Amino acid sequence: MSKLTINDVVADVPDGCTVLEAARIAGIHIPTLCYLEEVQAIGACRVCLVEVVGARVLCASCVTPVSEGMVVRTNSPRVRQARRTVLELLLSEHDGDCRTCNRGEDCELQALAHEVGVRDVRFSGSPHRKQIDRSTPGLDRDTGKCILCRRCVTVCGQMQGVAAVFPQGRGFETVIGPAFEHSLSDVVCVQCGQCAAACPVGAITEHDDTDAVWAALSDRNKHVVVETAPAIRVALGECFGYKPGTIVTGKMVAALRRLGFRAVFDTNFAADLTIMEEGTELLTRLKTALVDKIDVALPMFTSCSPGWIKFTESFYPDMTPHLSTCKSPQQMFGALAKTYYANKVGVSPEDMFVVSIMPCTAKKFEAARPEMVASGVRDVDVVLTTRELGRMIKEAGIDFTSLPDETMDNPLGESTGAADIFANTGGVMEAALRTAYELITGRPLPFPKLHVAPVAGLEGIKEANVKLESLLPEWKFLEGVTLKLAVLHGLSNAHKVMDAIKEGKVDYHFIEVMSCPGGCVGGGGQPRFTTNEIRNARIAAIYAEDEGKPLRKSHENPAVAQIYREFLGKPLGHKSHELLHTHYEKRSRV
Amino acid sequence: MSRRIGNAGELTALRDKLRSKIDLLGRHIRVCVGGGCIASGSLQVSAALRENIRKRGLDVPVFETGCLGPCSVGPVAVTQPDGVFYENIKPEDAAEIVDAHLIHGQPVERLLRRNDRTGSVETHVGDVAFFKRQIKIVLRNCGTVDPLEIDDYIARDGYQAVAKVVCTMSPDQVIDEVKKSGLRGRGGAGFLTGMKWQLTRKSPGDVKFVICNGDEGDPGAFMDRSVLEGDPHSVIEGMTIAAYAIGAQQGYVYVRAEYPLAVERLGRAIENAREKGLLGKDILGREFNFDLEIRMGAGAFVCGEETALMTSIEGHRGEPRPRPPFPAVKGLWGKPSCLNNVETFANIPPILLKGASYYASLGTEKSKGTKVFALAGTVINTGLVEVPVGMSLGDIIYDIGGGIPRGRRYKAAQIGGPSGGCVPRQHLNVPVDYESLQELGAIMGSGGLVVMDEDSCMVDVARFFLEFVQEESCGKCPPCRVGTKRMLEILTRICAGEGDEGDIEKLEQLGAIVKDTALCGLGQSAPNPVLSTLRFFRHEYVAHIRDKRCPAGVCAALVRAPCSNACPAGVNVPGYVSLIGEERHAEALTLHRERNPLAVSCSRVCFHTCETKCRRSTLDEPVSIRGLKRFMIEQQDGDAPAPEIRNSARNSKRKVAIVGAGPAGLSCAYFLARLGYRPEVFEASTRPGGLLVQGIPAYRLPRVYVAKDVRFVESMGVTIKTGQRLGHDFSVQDLKDWGYEAVFLGIGAPNGWKLGIPGEDAAGVEDALCFLRNYNENGTTDVGKRVVLVGGGNSAMDAARTAIRLGAESVTILYRRTREEMPAYQEEVHEAEREGVRIKFLAAVRAVVADNGRVVGVKCAQMALGPFDKSGRRSPVLTESPEFIEPCDQVIAAVGQAIDPSSIAGLDLKVNSSEYLDVDPKTGCTSVPWIFAGGDATSGPSSVVEAVAGGERAAVGIDAMLTGSVNAFWRQHAEVDTSFDPDADPVEVPRAPQHMVAVMERRRSFTEVELSWSKAEGLREASRCLRCDYRGTC
Repeated sequence: MSKLTINDVVADVPDGCTVLEAARIAGIHIPTLCYLEEVQAIGACRVCLVEVVGARVLCASCVTPVSEGMVVRTNSPRVRQARRTVLELLLSEHDGDCRTCNRGEDCELQALAHEVGVRDVRFSGSPHRKQIDRSTPGLDRDTGKCILCRRCVTVCGQMQGVAAVFPQGRGFETVIGPAFEHSLSDVVCVQCGQCAAACPVGAITEHDDTDAVWAALSDRNKHVVVETAPAIRVALGECFGYKPGTIVTGKMVAALRRLGFRAVFDTNFAADLTIMEEGTELLTRLKTALVDKIDVALPMFTSCSPGWIKFTESFYPDMTPHLSTCKSPQQMFGALAKTYYANKVGVSPEDMFVVSIMPCTAKKFEAARPEMVASGVRDVDVVLTTRELGRMIKEAGIDFTSLPDETMDNPLGESTGAADIFANTGGVMEAALRTAYELITGRPLPFPKLHVAPVAGLEGIKEANVKLESLLPEWKFLEGVTLKLAVLHGLSNAHKVMDAIKEGKVDYHFIEVMSCPGGCVGGGGQPRFTTNEIRNARIAAIYAEDEGKPLRKSHENPAVAQIYREFLGKPLGHKSHELLHTHYEKRSRV
Repeated sequence: MSRRIGNAGELTALRDKLRSKIDLLGRHIRVCVGGGCIASGSLQVSAALRENIRKRGLDVPVFETGCLGPCSVGPVAVTQPDGVFYENIKPEDAAEIVDAHLIHGQPVERLLRRNDRTGSVETHVGDVAFFKRQIKIVLRNCGTVDPLEIDDYIARDGYQAVAKVVCTMSPDQVIDEVKKSGLRGRGGAGFLTGMKWQLTRKSPGDVKFVICNGDEGDPGAFMDRSVLEGDPHSVIEGMTIAAYAIGAQQGYVYVRAEYPLAVERLGRAIENAREKGLLGKDILGREFNFDLEIRMGAGAFVCGEETALMTSIEGHRGEPRPRPPFPAVKGLWGKPSCLNNVETFANIPPILLKGASYYASLGTEKSKGTKVFALAGTVINTGLVEVPVGMSLGDIIYDIGGGIPRGRRYKAAQIGGPSGGCVPRQHLNVPVDYESLQELGAIMGSGGLVVMDEDSCMVDVARFFLEFVQEESCGKCPPCRVGTKRMLEILTRICAGEGDEGDIEKLEQLGAIVKDTALCGLGQSAPNPVLSTLRFFRHEYVAHIRDKRCPAGVCAALVRAPCSNACPAGVNVPGYVSLIGEERHAEALTLHRERNPLAVSCSRVCFHTCETKCRRSTLDEPVSIRGLKRFMIEQQDGDAPAPEIRNSARNSKRKVAIVGAGPAGLSCAYFLARLGYRPEVFEASTRPGGLLVQGIPAYRLPRVYVAKDVRFVESMGVTIKTGQRLGHDFSVQDLKDWGYEAVFLGIGAPNGWKLGIPGEDAAGVEDALCFLRNYNENGTTDVGKRVVLVGGGNSAMDAARTAIRLGAESVTILYRRTREEMPAYQEEVHEAEREGVRIKFLAAVRAVVADNGRVVGVKCAQMALGPFDKSGRRSPVLTESPEFIEPCDQVIAAVGQAIDPSSIAGLDLKVNSSEYLDVDPKTGCTSVPWIFAGGDATSGPSSVVEAVAGGERAAVGIDAMLTGSVNAFWRQHAEVDTSFDPDADPVEVPRAPQHMVAVMERRRSFTEVELSWSKAEGLREASRCLRCDYRGTC
């Protein structure tokens, strides 16, 4: 422990902690901007400056280690003046019209300027270099609004291992963006949106598609339906002041109906379907390898996370055969909505308009992939993020908090607890095991509350082994096999595992990958700002939701059974191959 | 292939063998192939020398060495063993050198160095002033060894320090020795090198690195480059010792890619050292491994910052990271790293070989050893110099640098590059060490030293450096990225004439914050050039912002033409010169009178600051502007059109009194008259003109010309009342009582200072102004046979030349400094000497020797020039030479002038530190709101044109007080319609000489000394003007 004095408060803090952390322990708030707990501490923005007695200049508290006997002032005239000037300088280059900026309501820069008492910007001059980049379906960039805090650089480079954006140029001309000032579509950007989730201002945002949805909703010729991903219901509430980890499924459904959607469906239904298809695919691959002794791509990777798919296509193009051929639940839903459901309600696929609400900006890219036209037209018309839906609800004047709880429509609205946990890291793996294990043993998964504990939690790479014993006769070839499983989230972890696989250092059968830390609950389209604390709260709520469901295994979903019976036939059958499976392309890195 | 050196004994044996080879070497020539000399063709010179030597069948080897130092006169070479130093050698000179020098033993004189000041030839290296005061430790081998030959280095004790260290010393002993030497990091911040090593050694970890910072990026700096190019092994050896001391096995040299020659030579040196076993495993047979790699930087200035440099070596964008943790704890790849710059490492081998105490004996108490500087800018000897730390800046610039070329005045030195600051004239005596420079807001930095003369605009200089750091900022933190940008924008505005009141304060505020808040050293020091110029040259900022004037004549938006800009009265020089060229003399005169009514007098006596700034001087010589003015006056006959008068019924009724009909009073009255006033001038003497008739002798300014100017001023509506003496016939209060609303005091500084020495009350001692006034007003004055003048100003020259004319047998001027420090105009000094005036320099009067109350001589002390004083000149200091007596029967003191206190008695007027009237620089208003002043009364003895400017300023101020607005319509730039062909080449005509009456003829006469030009001469001279004012589209 080290002892230090902050503003006359004497505090004992753990060795090696920073002045910022020490101040928090001592109950003293220091404003920050570029700092991002657990992600970035680089001392770049100079907002968290403090006076360390004996130091020549002011020190950035986020990177200054505490030393024994240190005396720190966080509220001296010198510190206040410095902070305020730094903010004034940022505001003087920031091309921000707060009246129209989509970050207007939760802009950190604006809040900080108020907090440190900026009332007048004394310095004026040329604005920051403005480049507008709307080249990708998922993300918009406006460098004029960028304050070069580099949060996006760190999340993209270090958390996601993609490094699509970094500083370009020097001096006042420095901009954050892709190499050689290319547009985002020209470089490897998986569009996971973690940058947009981390951006304190409106410099990187989700591409706003709300107008397209408003247009469809007011088009009498369109039959507009909506699907909502598992991670929406646990986060949407935050847009309306609910605590993180509040499930608002019922109010969400009610709000969507009031927005004018003809039917409110659940991506969870497609998640259950995914388990049927993907579980079968895994078992088939195992059989091919073990019984038929034919070379087949193992381990198999999950394919629900579109950022991960693009990541593999770009960074590991040779390994695309390892990806499950299953479409993501979003796209399975779209394909079925425009065929099975459209047929049921007598609407042509052309007039059926599918909107999906996703926690994810990469989903916008996924829906626009040219192969996603199983119904003959684009399967999912518009993808909205949680944040966009929140804005639409507000724009429509819907008082979200006073809405009644309503339930999803049928037939594509029914789901099990296994689908709920698609929202978090480890969830797809657990859902798959719940079904696959029971399928081959005839017994339920032998874990407390059906949870696969080793793959839960926020550790980056998690492993589990499941020994298969006393199997049903048709699965005897797997008798005694230990199923080696891995779960990862945050794409930098994917780099590690992929490289290890290529080098033959690891040997798994099945790997779940979610692009975003924490899985979809921490997606790039979720309400800002997602810390680990919030991730955990959302995950806990999701598990509770799962545990409260009467049906918790995908194969028990009666609507799933019904659609196989009525329409698809069997998993991996001809129809499902047509509608529910896809293929991947090899992309270059530039 | 060279053989590996197995142990220290083998190294010494090899050294001895190589050394004896050198000792056996007979005559040889060393040609500098430093970057500068290569650029000026030294490789061709050495090839030509070899060729000629071969042709003549001689056996004289030619070696190529690193930088010798005096880059401005390259290519340079030294012949050995006779040590003759040649400069500015061309390949075609090789034959002559070989023939005359090598064969006939006669050095080629035209290629030898000539001292600009003394004119003497400095044949031998040891005689050359540039080298004399240098002490070379870092540069010990530069210019001696062939950088590509490791044997050359070994022969000169190369790697002996490594041998000593690895064989006989423990790492801690090495660190102790470096600490004892007091060596401080030469990269800029000056952290104690031994301390840094110790911290790195103490940091836990098996893997540590030694890093050499060779990313020298300051504009004008080339110290590191020269060492790497000239003596790369010294850096390798220094790094090896550091590695041994801290426990590192791997080192990196980070060199900018813009230094290909340094990279090439260092790369070769590393390879050679490896071959010899001096790098690599088991160095000198000991269990000590160390190897080196070069990393090239892509030219980002910020990579000179240590953390950014390491980030760059790691393969990332070169951006600084916060400290702590310091590199000594967590450096390259997170490992403890010792980072020093090239010069620091080059210091290490001599320190360990010769001992710390030798090194510590040089320098100051807190800054030991020597420092290498890259001397650049407006200094005669630019180049690479190494001096003991603590040598005064003036000594470096004047003794080693040879002073400022073209007789210009030193203005400031920019030390420490973009992070540094400017040291002004009054601090030339500053010892160049870390602390002293820091006190002045500059820094030692890596040793860039850019000298600037009066032609540098300090606002522009600040803007230049700020622009540099702004462009080189990594962009990571807002204070550096945005703060310096905002400062740059303000500076750019100021330079463009768009500065606002408050800009200076903004710069100061922002500068202070940026210094306190930026992430790294680059940002924290970025405001330094601005803050330091603001500290010492605030008046230049004020001139730009308030007066929209760039005093140095640099900022294009504020400077129509350098000559006009330099004219205190702002006369449109190219305008009237071009009108003269078209023989439109009357128009020319009118244009001149737009800004200066005393055109006729000025055509005789103006000291033409315009000419010192004339751009033609960069081509050959300045245009003779005053000569042209005189030509214009002589050629113009009939009346010139009167300049515009804006009649005003209201102004004509207001009463304004001008006291004194000297240049300031006349000018003030003239400009008031043009605004419609009817000013009245009260003059004590019977003849208007002030010093023009009382002080300036008629041989320079015949009285008829003064009368012309006076008549012209009167013709504009000015009334002059003579014989009205302030303080005698009336008081300022009387003027107020008589209804005058504003009073201008143009009362001059008529009282001569006393000498302040014993015996000055003796008969025969008087002051120069009295002496001149007596003669000029009464036509007669007493003059001795042997006259002594004390002082070095213009009144001394006037009095001396008058005394000669009045029949003095000898006239001697005693001046306590030397000719270079004299304030008198050099042309006056020159003419005085031609007329027989003797000047004794470095003679300070100590007492007047009297006999029977009458002066018989002055006792003088012999002075010598000592340190630089606040005026930027070397101050005279007493020598031990015995005092001497200069016999004389008259002593005329010309040591300074003061205002007559009786004239302003009873008025509560504020005076400045020199006891002259304190006035507002913009309005000429004194501390009493209705009293204005100008001329010598406010500035002390100055020039006619300065007085004209002071009068104009007060006229505008008085009018502004009375009307509430500035109505100086004449300040608008007046266009001229003369023709000019911008595409034509300048005419190749030399400056027209000033014809003068023969010396013997003029010595006893007060007729005018200067003679007229012919019409052809005058028109030809006018054609020399380059028309810098031309703004047409080309």
